[in-house]
Amino acid sequence: MTGTARKFSFDTLLVHGGSEPGPGGATTVPIVQSSSFAHKTAEELEDIFRGRKLGQVYTRVGNPTTESLEKRLALLDGGIAAIATASGMAAITTAVLAIVRSGDEILASSSLFGGTFSLFRDTLSNYGIKTAFVNPTDLAAVRGAINERTRLIFVETIGNPKMDVPDIHELSAIAGEAGVPLMVDATVTTPYLARGADLRADIVVHSTSKFINGTGSTIGGAIVDLGRFNWQSGKYPHFAPFFSKYRGFAFTARVRKLMHKDFGACPAPMNSFLLSEGIETLALRMERHCANALGLARFLKGHARVGWVNYPGLEDSPCHGVAKRLYGGRFGGVLTFGLADKAEAFRFINGLVLARNLANIGDAKTLVIHPASTICSDFGPEEKGLMGVKEEMVRVSVGIETIDDIIEDFDTALNNL
Amino acid sequence: MMNLTVNGKKAAIDGKDAVNIPALLTELKVEQPDYVTVELNGDILERENFETTLVKDGDSVEFLYFMGGGGR
Ligand SMILES: Cc1ncc(COP(=O)(O)O)c(C=O)c1O
Repeated sequence: MTGTARKFSFDTLLVHGGSEPGPGGATTVPIVQSSSFAHKTAEELEDIFRGRKLGQVYTRVGNPTTESLEKRLALLDGGIAAIATASGMAAITTAVLAIVRSGDEILASSSLFGGTFSLFRDTLSNYGIKTAFVNPTDLAAVRGAINERTRLIFVETIGNPKMDVPDIHELSAIAGEAGVPLMVDATVTTPYLARGADLRADIVVHSTSKFINGTGSTIGGAIVDLGRFNWQSGKYPHFAPFFSKYRGFAFTARVRKLMHKDFGACPAPMNSFLLSEGIETLALRMERHCANALGLARFLKGHARVGWVNYPGLEDSPCHGVAKRLYGGRFGGVLTFGLADKAEAFRFINGLVLARNLANIGDAKTLVIHPASTICSDFGPEEKGLMGVKEEMVRVSVGIETIDDIIEDFDTALNNL
Repeated sequence: MMNLTVNGKKAAIDGKDAVNIPALLTELKVEQPDYVTVELNGDILERENFETTLVKDGDSVEFLYFMGGGGR
């Protein structure tokens, strides 16, 4: 999985990375649906618990199906190790709490996915962890918001649903100067648009429920350690026991041996299997998602009923230049656009036939939602403003159907308004 | 012939007086060598020193993984 597989290109790793022939020559990853794993002798189990020997013990801590997925995810992002979790939120919670402690501060993008925003603002604040929210495309503001308590910078590659594109390379340099790690939620871009290693992130988190799964069948998450950050730092005394034993693997060791084990947000083996199946076609699907999203964005822009379109792939998007540089001319499968008001947005959604009205992104199917009344309904006007959520806004996760059919569906619904 | 203590148990390597860490990992068929921490006579070795560190007769070696297991 490591030494030999590294010479393969990205698209080949999607199909083969981390996998070995299964029982009887099976070509799919075996679903090892077992809670625990027996060992012949007491000595052997002792050795595994002491870390002297490799071996599975208990599916909350590790499982062969999940391990195969983890190896592939680590290879795809160019990381040194990956940990699969039960959901994207589980990945974020586990990874963040491995780093910050009570009294510490997180510096986070103000345009985060709602679940992450509320985790930081409402939940972690109850445990003495404060988050400063800042516009991640304003680098001076980011620099100015770092203080002596800051222990983590957290951003999304493309903000969901604000569609802003922070310059991750610049943020990585700022984090490096401040001696704090940069954690990047790459759910919207996936390793196909940019590998975590190329983004110069220290830690990448994914909601694998979205494009990595690709079929809307499975909830999952992942934490990828890029092995760039030096955890031997006075800012992170809690990493000392892990650094002294595991050196460059200190972060992954702390997550695996402490946070992930204790929080227990492990994926079901069946879900790890479904994610491994989905990931094989990531490159093909992302190409189509990106092409269809650009096609739909251009169509919407030219439609008289549409007030505005927000997609980094449009040349006049303020984020186009940064997005083009970081993501190699691909801009993802998610866009937002504005109609006259909420009532018109509702009428539009109700008029669609093909696109599904639901709270998800990254499905093969085209999905729409009115964020202000649904996924962001718990937030007040000020927070909605920060997140770029407007009453007249519709979010679209553009699927991989034939673009003409998607456009016809939207065109008909718009013309019937 | 070298007599070593590996993970608390006696182990012997024939035909050699000393081996470096990559050779030892191969010789002992250590799984997932990219991920293993190596402790020589109680000291954790830096990965960049694996090539130049020699293990000799009488040495004690421990291998340590951060995966697997459930304890700390
Ligand atoms: C950018 C982003 N991060 C994290 C999440 C959370 O992932 P999950 O739903 O798998 O917990 C989502 C979606 O829900 C998301 O869009």
